[in-house]
Amino acid sequence: MLRLRLTELPRGRHPLAFPALPEEALPAAYAPLAAVARFGAAEGEVLRLDGALGRRTAWLVGGGAPRPLRMEVAGALAVEALSGDPEDREARPVRRAVIDARGLDPVAIGQLAMGAGMRGHRLPDLSTRPRRALRRLDLLVDDAAAAAPELARVEAVLRGVGLARDLAAEPANRLTPTSFAERLLGLRKHGVEVVVHGQDWLERHGYGALLAVGQGSARPPRLVVLRWPGSGGGAPVAFVGKGITFDTGGISIKPAKGMEAMKGDMAGAAACAGAILALALRRSPAPAVAVLAIAENATGAASYRPGDVLRTASGRTVEVVDTDAEGRLVLADALHHARGLGPSAIIDLATLTGSIVSALGHHRAGLFGNDDGLRDAAMAAGDAVGEPLWPMPIGAKHRSDLDSAIADLRHCLPVGGGGPGWVGKFLPDACQAAAFLREFAGGDTPWAHLDIAGMDLREEGVEGGAYPLPPGPSGFGVRLLDRLVADRFET
Amino acid sequence: MLDIAFAKASLPESGALVLPLAEEDLGGALMGEWDRLLGGSLARGVAAAEFKGRKGQSTTLYAPGGGLSRLVLVGLGKRESLDAAAAEAAGGNAVAALGKEAVASVDARAIGGWAGAPADLALGAALRAWRFDRYRTTEKPEDKPRLTGIKVLCEDPQAAKGEWASRRAIADGVFLTRELVSEPANILNPPEFADRLRKLEKLGVEVEVFGQKDLEKLGFGSMLCVSQGSAQPPRMVVMRWNGTDSKKKDSQPIAFIGKGVTFDTGGISIKPAGGMEDMKWDMAGAGTVAGLMMALAGRKAKVDVVGLVGLVENMPSGTAVRPGDVVTSYSGQTIEVINTDAEGRLVLADVLSYCKKRFDPAFMVNLATLTGAIIVALGNEHAGLFSNDDGLAARLQAAGKSVGELAWRMPLGEAYDRAIKSDIADMKNVGGGRAGGSITAAQFLQRFVDGCPWAHLDIAGVAWGSKDQPTVPKGATAWGVRLLDRLVAEHHEGRSPVAVPAVEPEAAVSGVGSESPAMLAEGGASSDASIAAPEPVAPAPAPRPSTRRARR
Repeated sequence: MLRLRLTELPRGRHPLAFPALPEEALPAAYAPLAAVARFGAAEGEVLRLDGALGRRTAWLVGGGAPRPLRMEVAGALAVEALSGDPEDREARPVRRAVIDARGLDPVAIGQLAMGAGMRGHRLPDLSTRPRRALRRLDLLVDDAAAAAPELARVEAVLRGVGLARDLAAEPANRLTPTSFAERLLGLRKHGVEVVVHGQDWLERHGYGALLAVGQGSARPPRLVVLRWPGSGGGAPVAFVGKGITFDTGGISIKPAKGMEAMKGDMAGAAACAGAILALALRRSPAPAVAVLAIAENATGAASYRPGDVLRTASGRTVEVVDTDAEGRLVLADALHHARGLGPSAIIDLATLTGSIVSALGHHRAGLFGNDDGLRDAAMAAGDAVGEPLWPMPIGAKHRSDLDSAIADLRHCLPVGGGGPGWVGKFLPDACQAAAFLREFAGGDTPWAHLDIAGMDLREEGVEGGAYPLPPGPSGFGVRLLDRLVADRFET
Repeated sequence: MLDIAFAKASLPESGALVLPLAEEDLGGALMGEWDRLLGGSLARGVAAAEFKGRKGQSTTLYAPGGGLSRLVLVGLGKRESLDAAAAEAAGGNAVAALGKEAVASVDARAIGGWAGAPADLALGAALRAWRFDRYRTTEKPEDKPRLTGIKVLCEDPQAAKGEWASRRAIADGVFLTRELVSEPANILNPPEFADRLRKLEKLGVEVEVFGQKDLEKLGFGSMLCVSQGSAQPPRMVVMRWNGTDSKKKDSQPIAFIGKGVTFDTGGISIKPAGGMEDMKWDMAGAGTVAGLMMALAGRKAKVDVVGLVGLVENMPSGTAVRPGDVVTSYSGQTIEVINTDAEGRLVLADVLSYCKKRFDPAFMVNLATLTGAIIVALGNEHAGLFSNDDGLAARLQAAGKSVGELAWRMPLGEAYDRAIKSDIADMKNVGGGRAGGSITAAQFLQRFVDGCPWAHLDIAGVAWGSKDQPTVPKGATAWGVRLLDRLVAEHHEGRSPVAVPAVEPEAAVSGVGSESPAMLAEGGASSDASIAAPEPVAPAPAPRPSTRRARR
């Protein structure tokens, strides 16, 4: 976690970044040099100035034309510039730096801090190399007291995002269902109630889908319920997260290529946990719960099989077609559990389908649901924080495709099973998965399903998001949920 | 096409009778009258078959009396949800349930509340009864469908006949599209396709055909690189329908553009063999534009429309375009061909820019079986809709909803556009990897519309059906003909749209309950005609229907 601090005094000789906006004149110290270098303050334009501030290195970071998130992008690019070349092991690492935020209002300062914190976050580094990443960042401001509340709010969200990213980055030998649940117990110190339901409880209560997915693993599944009581009373908003700590695909095993990324198949659950942490840290008045379905989908002698029929917690029976479509199964039981908590709305997050990546790529997550108001609010929240969504349909056929001859429904279609001919090779799996989940979310509670596959991870050479982050988990969803709660559930 | 006639209600002397009934009609006056005419067999049959009038339910009673061979009950569902689509579905379901009957009467009186209800039912029947029979030479006559005509029984046959004229034109357009899409690629190659479109001239459509030399002269480097591997020469066909009263040439038309790859092997980036036979319908976008032009001309739509289709065959050969080749499009922009199986966008690029430059249309809508990714995204209930104009997109979606051809809006954006940056040319023809494949395809097209309001319908998932639907037999669906016809009718013919009014339960019930049973009773009692003799509707002259009545 990059430590952020507000200061009014430019002490020390740590490198300093100045966010330059094209519509504003540069300070006199920079202007002549910037003019010589033809610095135009365009987005992404970065100029290093040695000598403008005595012995301190200064970076001019272009903000580009006015638009939402401009200062956040500038904050991220500033940290990138200040950090120097991570590959250059000869250079002295920069551990402390300054962003000059004087002349900005608290909201803009908060955005700068958000971008800086997102870019400067250090993911778990299990190597034995010396640490080189930026550790502390001072925000030089005119009035630290005025900016403090906004920074506190931003830091709460950043810590939530950081938790989600760290959890998703953990390798699956370190983050097993049991250790995942144990780590979540740590949220108690922030006032979050944490209940962990283990194998016995799940068996007693008939959570047959979650149990089936986890049965191939040496580590039994967990259902974890996090509760932030808030202060307003009333029904909580419920987050439901898919937490597959590693997804081999099970008996329907995945190809080897890229399988290492499946350690992040719990990004939905991690985002829900991160959002609860953010709400707790900023003392949100809104009560919220998160129901996390945590299991490892392993290939083994005890694994569940294609063709198996499961009895879910809701009592409905499900025919298993492809054991690699396990996310919707664990969510089915988690959604059922969430309904039992009497929520005002349910929002589930899951790295659910490759289909949504084919549909929307790496720039938007898929949004499904049963309630126009919640849909619009989620869209607005996503746009506001730079985690954009796109509404997707659940058609009548997506549901009827799930009809089963032996059970109440099947959870997916077999690969290439979309009917005869060319068309049948292509399955609208994201829509069908959403149709499946709808059966368990129920019709009476507003429900939204975010298929975040394609958005949960930043990959080398794949563009995604408003600005580059280092490869690894993005924490997608934490900020969106935090914003959605602030906009819709904190009345 | 089925012969469609409209007549006042009377008991047919022979053949079949179809009785569409809403759930509320069970035990009502209409059913009561037929029951009396049939000596009580209807009520007994309904009870025995547990017919509830549920939507899509149908029950057949054989030899129910009165000389009828069979009585088919078709459920309409709840009366409050009755609309044109439900009437069409009832007509389609009736045809499906009629089996080997040759002629049938359909009592449309349970479907009421708007003027065109009987004609809507007839349209549904006609659409369902279509069959592509050209290449079945050994099928025994007794195995063929025998239904040749239906008589729609209604209150006002004259009015229904009037309403039918425009629907008939739409059905003709749909059938042209279905036929073109069904034709195998050894028959329907680009020159043959263009020849068939020439036949639209009889309806008053101006048809211009551009051949290889013309296209070379124009500089269609993008489209021509697709056809260069084929022995079949390419064609571009420009169809113009000037339906406004003014003969002014300067009126700004609206434009529809279709992808017409008569067969798509994928070219050098050849497709896997499984399912490749379906690539004969990779010209469905062009087929749809052709059917739309026929429908608009057939009903004398008061609108100026241009329809452009780019017709090519995509084959692998020694002369085929290769991955890595760079071509110069009509617009002047250069394209690096990465995947020769992403050929549809190469064809559309030139046709879109040509259309914009020559006609400066008010908007352009293109249709294309463009990507498999759109099926992965949406399945085959919705086409993908991409647009740079929110108003146009909303109108397209609304028109689709009212005719049962659904389109789902998909996103565009700069971030997606960056995926088709090329290191050597202005753009490449596919983005990196499979992510967002239908969006990057749309971004590619958008680079050729030159700021024109534009919408792209990716119809890969909806152009061909693997199952019978109430008004669409399996096979070529002609998806889009009706949607675009409706779009034109509602927004571009200088009149306010005629909305189907919500059915008022009282009005509908009184209509059925008061007037018609009296008439029926009269007709039933005296066998001589106190009922107006059924009036067969003369088929509207195909080339130039005299009526100006345009649409529902």
